[in-house]
Parts: sequence; structure tokens; C-alpha cells
Amino acid sequence: MLLSLKWLREFVPFEGSAQELGDRLTMLGLELEELAHPYEAISSIVVGHIITCEQHPDSDHMHVCTVDAGQGELLTIVCGAPNVAQGQKVPVALVGTTMPGGLQIKKAKLRGVPSFGMICSERELGLTEDHSGIMVLPAESPVGARLVDVLDLDTEVLEIGITPNRADCLSVLGLARETALAFNLPLSLPSLPLVECGADIAGSVPLTIADPELCWLYSGRIIENVHVQPSPMRVRHRLHAVGVRPISNIVDVTNYILMELGQPLHSFDLAKLAGGITVAPAVEGEKFITLDEQERVLHASDLTIRDQRGAVALAGVMGGLATSMTAESTTVFLESALFKPAIIRKTSRRLGLSSESSYRFERGVDQLGCLRSLDRAAALMAAWSGGSVRKGVCKVEPKPFVAPVIPFRPARANALLGVELTEEFSQQTFAALGCPVQAEGDTWQVTAPSWRYDLSREADLIEEVGRVHGLDTIAPVLPQLQRSLDDAALPESPFSFWMRVKRWGKGLGLNEAVNYSFVGHKDLDHLHLPQEGRISIMNPLSAEQDALRTALAPGLLQNLRTNIAQGAAGLRLFELAHVFTADASSDTTAKETSIIGFLLYGSRYDSAWPQQEADVDYTDLKGIVEHLLAFLHIGGMQCQLASEPHPYLLPCVNVLVGGQPVGVMGRVRPDMADAFHARKDVWLAELNLDMLCTLHRAASVHFSALPVFPPVRRDITVIAPATLSVQAVLDYVTALKLPLLEKINLIDLFEPEQAEERNITFRLIFRHAERTLKDAEVDKVREKIAAALVKDLPVHL
Amino acid sequence: MDLLNELESLVPELERGIGQAFSLAELEELRVTFLGRKGRLAQIMTRLPSLSPEERPAVGQKANAIKNSLTEIFDARKAALEAEKEAAQLARFDASLPGRAPWGGSLHPTTLVQEEICGIFQKLGYDIAVGPEVENDYYNFEALNMPPEHPARDMQDTLYITEKVLMRTHTSPMQVRTMLARKPPLAVVVPGKVYRRDSDLTHTPMFHQVEGLMVGENVSFAHLRGTLTAFLRGVFGAKTQVRFRPSFFPFTEPSAEVDISCCMCGGKGHHSNGEPCRVCKTTGWVEILGCGMIDPAVFEAVGYDPKTISGFAFGLGMERIAMLKYGIGDLRMFFENDVRFLSQFV
Repeated sequence: MLLSLKWLREFVPFEGSAQELGDRLTMLGLELEELAHPYEAISSIVVGHIITCEQHPDSDHMHVCTVDAGQGELLTIVCGAPNVAQGQKVPVALVGTTMPGGLQIKKAKLRGVPSFGMICSERELGLTEDHSGIMVLPAESPVGARLVDVLDLDTEVLEIGITPNRADCLSVLGLARETALAFNLPLSLPSLPLVECGADIAGSVPLTIADPELCWLYSGRIIENVHVQPSPMRVRHRLHAVGVRPISNIVDVTNYILMELGQPLHSFDLAKLAGGITVAPAVEGEKFITLDEQERVLHASDLTIRDQRGAVALAGVMGGLATSMTAESTTVFLESALFKPAIIRKTSRRLGLSSESSYRFERGVDQLGCLRSLDRAAALMAAWSGGSVRKGVCKVEPKPFVAPVIPFRPARANALLGVELTEEFSQQTFAALGCPVQAEGDTWQVTAPSWRYDLSREADLIEEVGRVHGLDTIAPVLPQLQRSLDDAALPESPFSFWMRVKRWGKGLGLNEAVNYSFVGHKDLDHLHLPQEGRISIMNPLSAEQDALRTALAPGLLQNLRTNIAQGAAGLRLFELAHVFTADASSDTTAKETSIIGFLLYGSRYDSAWPQQEADVDYTDLKGIVEHLLAFLHIGGMQCQLASEPHPYLLPCVNVLVGGQPVGVMGRVRPDMADAFHARKDVWLAELNLDMLCTLHRAASVHFSALPVFPPVRRDITVIAPATLSVQAVLDYVTALKLPLLEKINLIDLFEPEQAEERNITFRLIFRHAERTLKDAEVDKVREKIAAALVKDLPVHL
Repeated sequence: MDLLNELESLVPELERGIGQAFSLAELEELRVTFLGRKGRLAQIMTRLPSLSPEERPAVGQKANAIKNSLTEIFDARKAALEAEKEAAQLARFDASLPGRAPWGGSLHPTTLVQEEICGIFQKLGYDIAVGPEVENDYYNFEALNMPPEHPARDMQDTLYITEKVLMRTHTSPMQVRTMLARKPPLAVVVPGKVYRRDSDLTHTPMFHQVEGLMVGENVSFAHLRGTLTAFLRGVFGAKTQVRFRPSFFPFTEPSAEVDISCCMCGGKGHHSNGEPCRVCKTTGWVEILGCGMIDPAVFEAVGYDPKTISGFAFGLGMERIAMLKYGIGDLRMFFENDVRFLSQFV
């Protein structure tokens, strides 16, 4: 809401500064967002008096003027406007002035004649679009005075943020009420006598309201013999200052009252209305052209103003083109009405048509102010258009305003606010808010004024006394929390579990990424993720964000592209987030699964020094996954090469715990990775963190006693077909269940390129629990293992 | 007394030899030559039996004394050579070599801020809860006193899944879920992702919030002020000024916006060099969170009696806190995941 300080002062004698007012309103819940000075750009323009005006010796359209602009000496100014004449008072831009359009006024020579300034048109001053000639000021304007003062422009405008509950403050009047409250000042309405003439119009425009719940009050006046033309200059400048485009005297009146009193009005050309007016829902499918020349298809849920032929206005939202005022119109039917907020909002939202009018109706307009606004608007319209107001008002009010009477317990207010307010303070506050109070006993009866739609319950009144007292002055108290004996034994919260895993990932040397939960369907398609079970956004911001992610891969791969583009040689990302799939059994129709994702790419080390250059590979990824499971005390991890093709991983390895799949890891299919500008293998894992959390909660740590006797180590190398997995050999040896063999570890793999065989070297660790082993007995077991391997597996030594 | 002379001559000979030995290896050679099993001393001693029994004790004593002297000379020289070697090695040690850098990990700034905030509330005795990101209109709006066609719904542009299912626009639906699942007294904070249909320089369609609520008997606005003042001082420092301005949220009454004294300019509106502060736009205050006393309509929706129960709730955006704490100027960086950005938050 843009509030002109000058306009406000027509209602309340506030003498302080705009900043002071804004600061005080802010602490009352009406936040000063910005302090604007709409005419700052022309603040240095002064009034000049044209003393002489001669034809330019070398131009047939320019004049050379001598101007007294109060500068002590007369200025020579060359002017090209056709209407310039001796004796005029005109706005003068002195040398050094920067015009609203950015033009710098300098000393200049125009066809050989020096010029010291510029006489301005209204358009050059940013006042109106008029550029037909220079602006001519009233003859009594004092020479050298500032133009903004002479024109009495609204130079200070406060932009106040109005919360949805304070519709009453969407007007100068409303903010004047708060100003009066804040500074203990009297409030008065500007008076303008309404002169009525002619026969009473009662009954001349029959009014019918189909449903009293939808239209609580409908009233109208007739103004005759109007001349549609621009409004008086001062009105145009004032509207301009508060962000309203001046259009014509008729439209400007309705906007002026809207800004001043908060009542939306509409002017019909009475000559174009056929018969009486009915307020009723639209006919389903009815077509209607609004003022903005758009054809709208209406629904039965839209409330319309209708004449005999059909809709003439979308109630409270926008008028119709066919019955609108034109330059030729002479008789106005001026509407002032009140509609049910919800129905206005529904139509306005459905059509994407939010007007200043619908904005106020949605939030609630003062029913008792409806006729006052109508009268003031009619009087202004007559004054600005030369017309006359017909006697009487057409009015139906099927649902008259009933003031809510609200119980208020001062003790409850004090308890809820945590402050001791005196009864005297509360009574004074209610009085200042325009709420009559019956302050008797423990429970008072407070009557809400017609403009305060937000006051209907005790809590609303407590907010009022709190707000006026000052929420910022209530002394802070730190409450004591009551906890139960069992609280300490509650399981770790999912957030804390996530935090521990995140801290683990960070400690391991991974960078945590956070991506949007939505991606484009096409991103999911690119990775061949199934269409089934996806959740779409009904009203996405863009096609790039029209589906909820079903995997973390799209986001992580996007991050890969970002980082490659900025020159990263390697990348190690992890992300913890929900993925979403449709699930009819969920109360939100979505199943949200927590996933931890990893992406590894490029250089293994961040710096070349002092390690050997190498790229990450499968073992890096698997090592991280193994480390995570070990961190969570989850044992028994198995890896199986997936037999079914995975949408975007090849190879894809299923990670299982106790035979149950908990996730996948593998290399992103190179053709898909290409799209993210990857030039090397991209390794990616996604694990179900919910399952890991469950497994983790079930797991526990058990101490194993330390061995007393030393181990003996023997290495063994087998030559195996390249297709035989290392795990197969490990499993085979473990299955032999040899009593002295404690452990078998892979220590080397020699795999010549293209070769059909590879050398696998294992380290066998032997130990006896009760004595030191002898070399001979260990060698014997090693030989036994070697023989068994050669016998049962397709390997040789 | 040839043997005695021979024995005595060993010492000067060795001293001469040692003067030429500049390495531990050369020294070892000398040791073998003089003191080895078949060395000079040993060879002299092999001739001991040829002496008369009367001569033997004197020669034996002499031999021992010579052996000790030889050993001493060796040890001294050896120690000196070792010290030299160590000094030479030390001189070569380059302490300036860059370290072998382990992988450097990092946490997302929103994670750090969530952790810090939840940590403070845990210290104050709050539980931490999390909830679904896809939410029903009922929990997100209706139960929070925002029936359909309520103008306050305009405050939050919503991404819808269906007419009745949406991406939660705030963490506040967890107020409803928590109160339905538990009985007062309760004190809970809820961190999480939230979504709005909004994308520009200062808005991203997804961001992070932390919601907090305390419900019980006799919970007052003074408690809300105390809790948030303590919390904001915890995050922004003990000198932080906190200001409560009346505002509006449909699910709290009274409602307030909380400002803190600008942490960039110290609440002065201008930097010490006179430059106007961009963060607070010279007001000296920065809006940081919204809060209020839980509206009776919300208590009714969850079956609590607003006559006996009261409570407060608050919500704040993590990105905003992170931007203020770390001086991040561009909101969009949060979700680009450029490691040059990420790795700054360790």
C-alpha cells in the first residue's frame, strides 16, 4: 500500500516525519517497506517568469526568452515550444539539473544563441504524457519557488506492507486510524458537501440480489451530464504518486476513493444498461468481455452483475467492456457494493485476474463505509466532470452488518502475553481502536468495528492489546521444560542419524551436495528411469522441474556437469535426500524414501603431490560403501553383479545385507554420462538409508579378545581365468574351514590387458590360539590349500 | 717384552687409522682389523701361551687395558660420525614440503546451520522431529487455520501434486502432525526442506526451514521472547539485539516477525567506512524469523483445549541464516553444488 504523507494529513494532523511515522507503524504491525520520493527528480525545478519572448533570429519555430527564475539575474533561455509567450509562469530547469529522463541541462548554444536552462513540458517533468507544449503555471505562482511546492505534489510516499488480516489498512483512512491510535491524534474525514438534484432515483434502477450470502449490500447513484475528460492536474499527480495511472475524471474518482477509503467502486454508462441490475452467479459457459478487452468464459461459481441482456461486470473483480464509460458517455451509474470475500477470490484466482478491487474484496471491505464512499465519490465525480448528482440512492442490503461482540478476559490476556496490562490500558486501547467495551467482571464484552474483519475471537483482541502495548516491550523469560524419565531412552531421531552419516561422509573426504527434489521428466527419461510410479508437479515453474526425483542420480550428474564446466579434475559428492514414488497406501499418496547417493569422478587425489596420478575406480566407490556399512556396524555385506540390466549403471552391482538388497553401485553408462560432459568413468552408488538405519539400530558392537600368540603369514598366487571372481577364490578357501587359517586377504592382482588369465595373490594368515605355530605345519596347510584350489577351481599355480 | 710393545703400539696405530676413517663403514673396517675375532689384538693374544707363566699376568693385564682403550677410541669416533651423519640428514630435511593432503570433505551450509540450530534447541531440551515433504492440503493449510480461499494462502505460492496434495510450503504442518501424535507438554524442533512456486534472485523453489513449537499450560509470549532471544544470541553472538514486530500468520495469534541487529554493520546501518549497509538496507535490522502464539483454531484442529493449553511456534529459513553467517551473497549458489563453494564449509 502506497501512502502519501500529504494525503494522510488530510485525515489526521500528524506533524512528524515520514520516517518517524513509518517506524511507529512498523512496530504496530504495519511494516514500512520503503520510503519513496516520487517527485525527487524534479525537486530542483523552479517557477520562472517569462519577461520577454522574441522570435529566434535563425529559426522560425524557436523563441529566445528572458526569464526571471529568482536567480538574481535574468536567464536567456531558448524555447522551441509553440505555446511559449511573454508573461507566462513556467517550470524552469536550471543549468546543472538532471531531468527525470536522465537529460542533463547544460549551457548550450541553439543556432548561435546561448541558452541557460530549459522551460519544461509536463512530459519532460514526468508528470503526464502531455508534450504538446510547455507547462503553463497559474499566474500567481511565486517566481523562484520549487515546482513541487507550487503544485502541492505528494513528495513523500510510504510503502507499507499490509498483512492479509489488515484489509482495513488498504486505504489512507485505515492508515490514518492507526496513525491516530499511535500518536493519540484526532481523526477526521475530509468533508465535501453532496449536492443532489432532480427527481429521486429510488426504483429507477431496480436491484435484485439472487443470494444474500454472496452479495451483502448493493448500492448505486446516478450522476448526470458528466463530461469525460482528464481529471484536475492535482488529482492526476496524486494518483501518479501512489502508483495509479490517471485515465479520466470518471475512472480517477473510483480509483481515488479506492485508495482513500478502501471501497472499490464501478462506473457503468447508464445508457448502456438494459433494465434493472441483478447480482447473480454467471451462467455456466457464458462468454463475457472484460474492460481489458479479454473474452472470459464464466463458470456458475463466478458472481456477476447482470442486466436484462446478461453479465455487465464480474462482481468485485472487473467491469465489462460493453457497459463501460466512454468519452461520449454522459450518465454514470456508480456502484458501491459488498461481496462475499471467498467468491471474489475464487473468480480472481481462477481467471488469474487480480485487481485492486478484487484484492480488497477478498480481504474484506467496511460495510458501514459503503454508502459514505458512494456519496463522496458521487460528489467528487460531479465536481471533476461538471455533472450533477441525482437525488437518492438505489440500495438493497439483504445482510446488514452485525457487529461481533467478543468476550475478553483481561487475566487471560496477561497470561498469554506474559505481561501485566492494567485494565485501564486495555480499555483505552479498545476505545482507540473503535471498539466499544463493556468492562464488567472478569469477562468483558468488546464490540468489533465494521472495518476490522480480523477481530472475531478473544485471541484477536489479545493480539490488539499486545500490539498496542508493544510486543517488543514484553520482558523475555526462558521457560523451564518438563521432561519425563523415559525421554533420555528415546531412540535417536532420524535427523540425528542423518547428521551422523553426514559427518561421516564429510570426515571421509566427501563433499555434501543438496539438489532440488524436483527434476524434469526428461531428466528421468534420459536415465531410462521407469515412468511408472513417478509423481508429477501439477503447476511446475518449468519443464525442468515437473517431476519429483525417483533417484539421486539426476541431481548428482547435473552437479558433475557444473563442476566439469568450472574445471574440476575430480569430484567426490554425496547427498542425503528423499526420493519420491506414488503410493496409494500413503496418506500423502507419496512414498518418501531416504537415499544416500555417492558420485565419484576423475582424479583420485586433489593434488598431484605426492601421489601418483590416478583416476577413481570401482574400488574407491566400493571402499566407501563398505566403510559406511562398517561405520553403521552392519556386517555381512555382499556384492552381486546385477543380472537384470540397470537403467543407468553398467556394470551395476547390487549391494545386499543378509540377502536383502539395500542399494546399487556401478558405473554410469558412458553414453548417458556423455550428456553431462564426462570424459572419464563416473562411479555412482545409491543406498536406501531407511534400511541402513533399521539395520544399524539392530546392530551392536561386541568386543573380541585380542590374540595372544603371533600370526604366521604365507602368500599364494594363483593364475585364474579373468572371468573367475576373486570372491569365488576367497569363498572357496574360507569354506575349507581350516582350523589354523585365520584370514585370507587379496594383496595383488596382475591383469595384463587383453589377457584371458590373471594372477591373483592372496595373503594367508595363520594363527593358533594357544601356542606359537611352527613353519613346517603352516607350510603344510598352505600346500593343502594350493592343492585344493588347483583341484576344484579352474586355476593353476 | 715384544708383546707388551706390540700391544702398546696398537693405540697410536689405531689413532692414526681413525684419522683417515670418514664413514661408519671405514670405521667398521678398522674395528674388524683391530678388535675383530681375527684382528690385531686377537692375533697378539694367540701368542700369549708362548710366554712364561710369570710373564703372562702382566701381558694379560696390559692386553685388557689396551682393549678398553681401543674400544673407547672407536666409540668416541663412532659417536662423532653418527652425530655428523644425523646433522647432515637434518640439514636435508625439508619441513616446507606440502603435506600429503587427505581428501577434504565438507557439509552443505544449510546442513551446518540446521545442525547448529537444532543443537541449540536440544540443549534447551527440545526433541527433533522430521516429516514428509509431500503433504496434504489439510496439514499444510486447513488445520493451520487457512481454509480454501483464505487470502493468506497467497503468502505462499504452492506447488501442487493434485488438488489436495502439495509440496509442503513450510515445516508448519509438522506442528499439526506432532500435536496429533503426542500430548502436551511438548517442545519440538523440525528441520526440513520446503517448497514454493517462486524462483528469482532472492527465492529458490526449494529451501530449508526449521520449525519450533512449545506447547503446555501457561506458555506465554514472554516465554517465546525468552526462547528466541536466547536462541538468536546463541547463533549470532551474545551482543545481538532482538526486536519483535507485530505481524500476521494465520496459525499464530498474536504473531510477530523477529529482527536482529544487522550482523554486517553492527546494527548501525552503515559500515565503518561510511558505506551504506546493503544487507539491512541501512535500517540496522535484519528480518530473521516469524513466530507467535499458536492460534486457538490450530489447537482445536488437533483436539487440544485452547482454554487450558497455550503454546508458541516459530519458523526460520536456513539459507537466510547461512547467508548472514557466512556472508554468502547469492542464494542460487546453494543448489549449484560447485565444489569451490561446497568445500568452503568444512
